[in-house]
Amino acid sequence: MLVLGIETTCDETAAAVVEWRGDARGGILSNVILSQTAEHEVFGGVVPEIAARAHVEAIDHVIAKALADAGQSLDRMDGIAAAAGPGLIGGVIVGLTTAKAMALVTEKPLIAVNHLEAHALTARLTDGTPFPYCLFLASGGHTQVVAVRGVGDYVRLGTTMDDAIGEAFDKTAKLLGLGYPGGPQVEQEAKRGNPSRFALPRPMLGRDDANFSLSGLKTALRLEAERIAPLSDQDVADLCASFQQAVADVVLDRLRAGLKMFRERTGAPTALVAAGGVAANQTIRKALHRAAFEVGTALVVPPPELCTDNGAMIAWAGAERLWLGLTDPLDFMPRARWPLEEVRGWDKAAATIQRK
Amino acid sequence: MLVLAIDTALAACSAAVLDTGRGAIVGRESLPMVRGQAEVLMPLIARVMAQAGVDFATLDRVAVTVGPGSFTGLRVGISAARGIALAAGKPAVGLSTLASFAAPHIAADDTEPVVAAIDARHEHVYLQVFGPEGRTLVSARIAPLREAIRAAATGAARVTGTAAELIAAAWPPGQPPPALIDARACPDIDWVARLGAAASVSQGPPRPLYLRAPDTQPQDAARLPRR
Repeated sequence: MLVLGIETTCDETAAAVVEWRGDARGGILSNVILSQTAEHEVFGGVVPEIAARAHVEAIDHVIAKALADAGQSLDRMDGIAAAAGPGLIGGVIVGLTTAKAMALVTEKPLIAVNHLEAHALTARLTDGTPFPYCLFLASGGHTQVVAVRGVGDYVRLGTTMDDAIGEAFDKTAKLLGLGYPGGPQVEQEAKRGNPSRFALPRPMLGRDDANFSLSGLKTALRLEAERIAPLSDQDVADLCASFQQAVADVVLDRLRAGLKMFRERTGAPTALVAAGGVAANQTIRKALHRAAFEVGTALVVPPPELCTDNGAMIAWAGAERLWLGLTDPLDFMPRARWPLEEVRGWDKAAATIQRK
Repeated sequence: MLVLAIDTALAACSAAVLDTGRGAIVGRESLPMVRGQAEVLMPLIARVMAQAGVDFATLDRVAVTVGPGSFTGLRVGISAARGIALAAGKPAVGLSTLASFAAPHIAADDTEPVVAAIDARHEHVYLQVFGPEGRTLVSARIAPLREAIRAAATGAARVTGTAAELIAAAWPPGQPPPALIDARACPDIDWVARLGAAASVSQGPPRPLYLRAPDTQPQDAARLPRR
């Protein structure tokens, strides 16, 4: 089964063709990503209107390239999947409308995929990870700990009360005059910094729930930086190292809580799965390894190009849903907000009836 | 030639099929709406194609309004047109909403000027002025209302578009009054189709005509001084 996937929820215009073989893992036939990083760099963050303008000019070319790279014609696709949210609504509308138009012309099924669900299922594409597993999704827009129990069966164990982790990295980079996106820049600076020079707080540490809060840490970092400004190169390195270590400590503690909740509710997870760009940070990666090791489970981290936004994950989630007969009508509404719990699953209706 | 025309740039969701061989619109639907085109458009196109008895493979081209208009609305229409073009292997062409508003009036009489104006809010309008034989006298632009009036008040012009009443109400007292005020919430989809049939496909895929830069400023304020 072949599925075309389209991703336009943030600042990547992406499309891919993925093969679902019905066995352990999928095959990626093509994966085209056009990044808008350069367009947003001067603003130190993604500007929604600029993103939407870039998507509409590029998406059909990106899709054509994805089909060509895969050596496939559109006729050979079994379904057309697009991220229908959550995300920046201007971009979501462009990708979903394009997918609907293609589905209308070809009379192929449309699969309106939740972007978070696509991140959540990527480990099955790359590693064939069986359900249930514990997902740690951390990017510029999202920070969540989720019990992934089946397709369309997600229980959120924790989320951020304020900033996403990637967002906190971006804001730190901006404050310190580093480039955009901030994550890799902060990590680079931190390499030659002293992580214990600044005593930054570890918000939420020791709480039973698996929630995050980054804004207090961000403020503490700003106050420390302002106190010693103007900043030397070493100051910047030490601030980055101290900030990164604080985040890693928080991640380890919050994942311990999340994995405990997982075990109580769902039993042992088959793996701790990471998704999102934050997992590329090596200090945070160490915390993930430790969290998985402590509970005796495997850590699965898809390759970087499949951790950040991409079309292959949308195509894969589309394939998993299409296999279960979960397709969507052409009047499907694009959604800026779309919590994972609201994703429709094949067995949810039946399960509800049984409980009654 | 069979043309599928799409317009979601302003306060409607419209599609039509023009058969130039029969010289007739063979399918048409237009629903007034300010938002929600992203949900309504595709089923509407399916109904219009069914009404016309035409399938996508027999279309010759897709025509779409590219603005000026609602940024989101015109991206819905253009994404749809380019998606259909890609899937059906047909060319897509873009038409401006201003030209679409003016077209029926120029067709009726191409000796007197036509002013097409769309409300851009905050005392601004999108404006284009067409002269004899439909030639552009004032190119498509965004302008403060007062400036637009000066450009528009060229003889006994006919005024059309969503800002027709706005322009007419502010018409300078010394000038001959507008010969016609044709206020409309959206272009006539039939005329989008006709312009689409006449447009050149060599201009590349339709691109949004925003006429307004994104509302944003580079941010350096948060940055701390370095030694």
